[in-house]
Amino acid sequence: MAAASSAMVTQSAGRRGRDVTLLVYFVRRAVEAMWRKPIVTVVATATIFVAVLVTGACAAALTAGERLALGWAGDVSISVYLAPEADLDAARAAVAAAAPGRRVTAIPSARALERLRDSLGKDATLLDGVDAAALPASIEVSAAGLQLADVRALAQRLSRVPGARDVDDGNAWIEGLDGTLSTVRAIGMILFGALALGTAVLVSNTLRLGVFARRDEIEIMKLVGGTDTFVQAPFWLEGLFQGVIGSALAIGALLGAHAIIAPRVSVAARLGSALDRAQLLPTSLLAMLAISGAVLGLVSSAIAVRRHALES
Amino acid sequence: MASEALIQLLHVTKRYDVEAPALCDVTMEIAKGEFVFLTGPSGAGKSTMLKLFLCAEPPSSGQVMVFGRDVARIRSSRIPYLRRNIGVVFQDFKLLPDRTVAENVAFPLEVRAISQREVRRRVSVILRSLGLDGKERKFPPSLSGGEQQRVAVARALVGDPALLLADEPTGNLDAERAQEVMLLLHAANARGTTVVVATHDRTMLERHRKRVIALDGGRVVSDGGRVVGDGDAVRRTAGA
Repeated sequence: MAAASSAMVTQSAGRRGRDVTLLVYFVRRAVEAMWRKPIVTVVATATIFVAVLVTGACAAALTAGERLALGWAGDVSISVYLAPEADLDAARAAVAAAAPGRRVTAIPSARALERLRDSLGKDATLLDGVDAAALPASIEVSAAGLQLADVRALAQRLSRVPGARDVDDGNAWIEGLDGTLSTVRAIGMILFGALALGTAVLVSNTLRLGVFARRDEIEIMKLVGGTDTFVQAPFWLEGLFQGVIGSALAIGALLGAHAIIAPRVSVAARLGSALDRAQLLPTSLLAMLAISGAVLGLVSSAIAVRRHALES
Repeated sequence: MASEALIQLLHVTKRYDVEAPALCDVTMEIAKGEFVFLTGPSGAGKSTMLKLFLCAEPPSSGQVMVFGRDVARIRSSRIPYLRRNIGVVFQDFKLLPDRTVAENVAFPLEVRAISQREVRRRVSVILRSLGLDGKERKFPPSLSGGEQQRVAVARALVGDPALLLADEPTGNLDAERAQEVMLLLHAANARGTTVVVATHDRTMLERHRKRVIALDGGRVVSDGGRVVGDGDAVRRTAGA
């Protein structure tokens, strides 16, 4: 019993040893192949680099657009227009209760008319003879720092305040921008899919050149007893390494570009920390880019080597 | 008592297209430990027969048994494991020009996941035994034809195969180098390896008195001096 158990342990250790030997062999072959065919390596790596860089830059640009929209949204306030018979003070109190912590300002009809006169400037005479009661009293609520969805929700709550007749969330143009961003995001996703597919084809064709150049090696490996996995594994690793290197370089380039560009844009647009690295290029995005690049290289090389390896 | 058969062909026909078959109704067997020459003119079916032995192709009809396994029934995933018992020497050497001699010879050991240390040891031993010590780091194009063929033989023998297939192994060599290579094959045979050599070199057949299977037009016309088909075919083959 003990002897059988000992034999099993020895067998298992032997298998592990062979697995490690194979893995070391595959890695060595992959690295050697990359070293021996530098042009194929550079072209494949550069293709993955460009694909990951473009994808990352698009994602960061979209996030930046959203951040800019949010930054500008902070200057906008929600106006609750009251019915003529509404009690301004009571309405103000109700609005303050519905928007706790927000700056709430009551604007009587006379003040509203005064503002309109100011905004018209030299054309203010057009308002001569207009009664102050012509404009409704209103309550203004600051929407600074709120996201668009929150602004909409607050406006919805404020529309139910007693005396409220109409609510202007003041974000019509930002909603337009938000809609544009959504469209751009959808187009971006389609473009990313097309880019990934195009890159896979491009990298696969590039790697196929490398595989073709090594068809004699594949043939000999198969003649001396190499299994399909044994023949293909170094090529898979080669693609994986190129994917990892390409995406690592792309991530480095994105971080570099962010370090150079973001501070200047933030200062120019007075955006504070809206364009921080953690906001634009979060670790989750960088990890996703790294994994995508690696998978792209792996899948492309698997496609490239499969046909040659199996037909020998 | 009959020796154990390592290779058996039973009514084997191999066709590549609708024209004349490459092998036609061939029945023969090669025993373990034998040294056999396959001879015949170009197109006689020698290389096709070696491909069948190597499980590179299945027969169109009939049965090919190698190591007691039916070639047509072996799962493709098992073929590599069977090939690990077979060493192959090609007329054109099939050495990788951008790999060193040692790397070329190491291939059959690497596919078996043998440790690098053991690979180095075995490669060193086989190269020394074939008079190639000191050439480990050379690249094949820098070697003479004879040296390249010896490297090819070293690669075929390094895994200590039970069966060695050689397709015109001396075709590109002068008489002296050809004799060297044949001595290496004989030495392997003396150690117990079954050797099958395809050749149309009559001098070699006369010098090495071994079993000769003559092929012509895909048929076995004589086997070990025994005429199998019509006499004309044997005479054609003898004149090849």
